[in-house]
Amino acid sequence: MGSYFTRHMQVLVSTFGDMARTPATAINTILVIAITLLLPSLLYVIVKSSEDLSDTWQGRPQVSVFLQSDMSQAESQLIFNEIKLHPAIELAELITPSQALEEFRLLSNSATLSEELAFLGENPLPPSIVLMPNKSAAKPAALDELKDQLEKIEGIDSIRLDLEWTERFTAILAVVTRVGMLLSALLALGLVLIVSNTIKLLIYNRRDEIEITKLVGGTNAFVRRPFLYYGMLFGLFGSLVSLIFLILAANLVEQPIAKLASLYQHNSLLYQIQAWEILSLIGIGSLLGWLAARWSVAQHLWRIKPK
Amino acid sequence: MIKLSQVNKRYPNGHEALKDVSFDIAQGEMVFLAGHSGAGKSTLFKLITRIEKPTSGQLFVDKQNVSRMRDSKVPALRREIGVIFQDHKLLMDRTVFDNVALPLIVIGMPHDEIKKRVRAALNKVGLEGKQEQKPVTLSGGEQQRVGIARAVINRPNILLADEPTGNLDEALSDEIIDIFADFNRVGVTVLIATHDLRQVERLGKRTLHLDNGELVGDYRHSDKANTTPLDSTDSPTAEADNNG
Repeated sequence: MGSYFTRHMQVLVSTFGDMARTPATAINTILVIAITLLLPSLLYVIVKSSEDLSDTWQGRPQVSVFLQSDMSQAESQLIFNEIKLHPAIELAELITPSQALEEFRLLSNSATLSEELAFLGENPLPPSIVLMPNKSAAKPAALDELKDQLEKIEGIDSIRLDLEWTERFTAILAVVTRVGMLLSALLALGLVLIVSNTIKLLIYNRRDEIEITKLVGGTNAFVRRPFLYYGMLFGLFGSLVSLIFLILAANLVEQPIAKLASLYQHNSLLYQIQAWEILSLIGIGSLLGWLAARWSVAQHLWRIKPK
Repeated sequence: MIKLSQVNKRYPNGHEALKDVSFDIAQGEMVFLAGHSGAGKSTLFKLITRIEKPTSGQLFVDKQNVSRMRDSKVPALRREIGVIFQDHKLLMDRTVFDNVALPLIVIGMPHDEIKKRVRAALNKVGLEGKQEQKPVTLSGGEQQRVGIARAVINRPNILLADEPTGNLDEALSDEIIDIFADFNRVGVTVLIATHDLRQVERLGKRTLHLDNGELVGDYRHSDKANTTPLDSTDSPTAEADNNG
């Protein structure tokens, strides 16, 4: 066990040395890996930030309950009182036809509105109740259930859930996530091919050394080991550089995003990457590099035999 | 230690490098392998180190049947055999130390131990103080010694040397061959391929003579006078060709 560890440490150290001796190859490969890993990482951060955003928004959906338009003030007050007691509702507000008209007048900003209303002869707007469900009822399924329950109340004309756009947003996010996953898989494959090609070149560059090592009794595992370390170290350094790029990218967009967030009274819109996610990125990078080396070694190393 | 019986080697291009070769080298023997270039000396070495497999026949090294050996056992076989190559086969971009240490590195020896052994081996071949140099800065004879140091560093039971004195002057050749004789004296089986008959005569050791892939002679040079082959059963042609 001790000599096994010694062997590995010797190979690790000598692989570092070899990398330092041919920095151009190492730097190129590491940059290619970094950029290849950066794209999925960026997508990941974007999707995560958007998910945070939609979570916050989903917490405040509005439900508009329109009552029958011929209803008297007292009747609508009764229904309002009933609805207000529903356990799923946090806030409720009764809007009378005249209040609604006033709001409409403010919002429409139309000079001829008074004339148009005069033409109609009476206020066409029905009384309505605006509801805000509590947190546990804010999910799409719970809201649908709430809607079903409210519809049973006499005197309610229609109910509109202000949900469509959040649903759409969630759907778009799901599509982006899927596309991102597909893209990541393709990029991972590309990364493996690039690294395995670099390893192939390294193998043929060290042909003499491999031959001689086999001649003095080096096992296949021994000959293979430095290349596996190469692949792993390429992946490791590549993912570390990718992480640096990610931080730089985050710094670049931080200010405009902070401004955007402040407009929406939001603390931060940018997803803060977690330690486990950083470790995952490094782990995935190293693993892909190792796999690429493994693949390359399996293809090429057996061809090199002492003559 | 090395036993061949009716070994044939034909290369894919049709060239028959060895034809029905049989001999037996005992443990602790020192044997010269004589013959012109192309006689099959290098092929014989390749068979012993399992770089090539015989086309037919049996080959035993230290009682292991090399012709039937599984690939996974080959590294262990090669660790038992120190090989000195005519073209040295050194890593020119590595230091003398790295080159000599390679057989120890592949078995995972601790670095301190490697250092001690490399120093001892370099002293033995007269290259003390050169361990940090690159082989390109050394002369041909010195490069040959680096190769010898590498071959003996793992204390192998068998030493094979392919034309170790190839392009060295007489004095250097004598020194190199004497180093092998020293190892032989402590029990290492030594097989030296050479066309340098002067060395063969000088040491008076057993000599196997290959010609065109056939074993045409098996004799001891000092026995020249009484022309008695050492092993008449394995090489019936030896008597006819024991003057070579």
